[in-house]
Amino acid sequence: MQIDREQAGLDVVLKVTGRLDTPNAKPFESSLLEAVSGSEGTITVDLAGVDYVSSSGLRALLVAGKAMRTAKRELVLRSLQPQIREVFDISGFSTLFEIK
Amino acid sequence: MLASAELLAGLGLLFIGLKLLSGHLQQAMGRRVRILLKGATRSRFIGFVSGGVTGAIIQSSNAVTLISANLVRSGALTIRDAIPVVAGANVGTSALVFVASVDVKVAVFYLVALVGLCYQFKMDRTPARREWLGVLLGLALLFLGLSFIKLAPQHISAATVAAVLGDISGPLGFLAGFVVAMVTQSASTAAILCLASIGIGAIGLVDSFYIVLGANLGSGVAALVSAGGLKGTGRQLCFVHIFVKAVGCAVVFLVWLALPLVGFDPARLLQQVGQDQPGFVISILFLVLQLTGGAAVTVFCSASEALARRLSPPTHEDHVSQPHFISDEAMADPPSALELAAREISRLIRHLPDLLPDLDQRHVDDSSHRAAQWRGGRAICDATGQFLVELIDRHLSRADLDLALLLQEQQGLIQTLQDTLKDFADLIDRYAEPPPLAFNLCESLRTIVFELAETQRSGLEDLELLIALTADRSATLDKIRRSLTGASLGSGEEARTLLSSLSLFERSVWLSHRLAMTLRPGANEANADATPRTLNRD
Repeated sequence: MQIDREQAGLDVVLKVTGRLDTPNAKPFESSLLEAVSGSEGTITVDLAGVDYVSSSGLRALLVAGKAMRTAKRELVLRSLQPQIREVFDISGFSTLFEIK
Repeated sequence: MLASAELLAGLGLLFIGLKLLSGHLQQAMGRRVRILLKGATRSRFIGFVSGGVTGAIIQSSNAVTLISANLVRSGALTIRDAIPVVAGANVGTSALVFVASVDVKVAVFYLVALVGLCYQFKMDRTPARREWLGVLLGLALLFLGLSFIKLAPQHISAATVAAVLGDISGPLGFLAGFVVAMVTQSASTAAILCLASIGIGAIGLVDSFYIVLGANLGSGVAALVSAGGLKGTGRQLCFVHIFVKAVGCAVVFLVWLALPLVGFDPARLLQQVGQDQPGFVISILFLVLQLTGGAAVTVFCSASEALARRLSPPTHEDHVSQPHFISDEAMADPPSALELAAREISRLIRHLPDLLPDLDQRHVDDSSHRAAQWRGGRAICDATGQFLVELIDRHLSRADLDLALLLQEQQGLIQTLQDTLKDFADLIDRYAEPPPLAFNLCESLRTIVFELAETQRSGLEDLELLIALTADRSATLDKIRRSLTGASLGSGEEARTLLSSLSLFERSVWLSHRLAMTLRPGANEANADATPRTLNRD
């Protein structure tokens, strides 16, 4: 898994490539929480390069989402591949996060 | 010909009667049997007597062993408490052999008449009455069976019976008794057959001695064989059952061997004592076997426990079947008991994710581990439900009653959720490589159930998030359902499995939502269906 971070003013974009599975969930969660604490604006997670999301990956996103909620900021997801979009729809994440 | 038909009919009636009696009594007495056996926690003697009374009523030491095993698994009894119960139950079952040694024909007539009249005049309208009528019918059939068995040999000559049985004294008699008890799974039946054969003089008292000894040991081994599926603590009690039988046989046989050393001929002594009432002597022998074995196992309870534990060590399932908080002692203080029940429920919720497969680790086959988790969780959930029912019966204050009813609702939802998650996991386990939809359903459900478990460690915020996460998604799922029915999915079996997975997923999400709503503070005061909040939109 690879995570590229781009800063755009107060906002941050995280471009993720690879699998969001159990081994990668912790580093992914750490990167997200680092971005939450190290920025003040919206955080966008670009999932165009992600072809596999397991429950561990979903939970990492949920942890970051809760942290953003506490900070009263928005976590946005974008460029989801169709099979990844399906897991977000089924799990109810589509109603929790803004998906572009 | 008539005699063999009568004998077989007698055996059939005896078995039907025992089954009806045991089944209906457990239904009719249900909690009272459990309460009676729970008395075993007070002392070994009370445990022995409780087991004896229950064994005499139910007439099945196997049933008492099974009930005790369930009480051990639910934490109501320890193995040490249950040992005297099982020992006493064996003594209790000897009541049937005593009944067989007396003439019960008249009692049978009255019983059949009573049951028939009750049915005719529709006195079986309430469930409780139906169960008690079932008990009486079982008793009547049992007695009728005994009469048939005793009468059958009278239609043939003693010489014919003796010719059929051959020389069954000594070891052969022991073996014959062992085999009959293994086949019928009952030492009492073998002893009753002995009584019938003695009645017509086909066999002597010495032959009967060996047959009854063999039957006694055989029924213990039969119980272990029939409990093949039991493991851990359940099997430990089966071993205790065998100890009772084996020790009884060993002690009585040693006395038999030792008597000549003090100048007595045991065979002659037995014949002298039983000259007038041979049947009664067999009943006494049967009782002595149970009493000596039962008393020895009860007195040497620790040694029996250690040996049983060594032969059948506790399993992972035993460990996960133990409640951590609820106990009978807690009932005395309802507010504390409710607090403990709430903690037990919280623990059950925290363990729900253990029921689902981790598809990230699909190379690891953990299905047997999950099955044990499910059975264990189910046992704790049942015990918690029972605990709440007994608590509600104790005339609680209004506030305590509200809380108890709320906990009961949560317990019911958890129980259904446990079963639904297990059914869902069983479907997912069928796939060597789950198709994308099955994978997405499983991982989504794991996320939801993990979040549900997480609410037990975190605060209200997470609960509100869970309520939002589990909100109605029927539109999304219906769309998937439609696409599934329209698509070509290879075999129809695959489509059916996916549709079933989808339905179970939907049910699990709905149950999680309902459970989350009951976990909200003040849920027992107002069951308000508040609008779910989302991460970004409030």
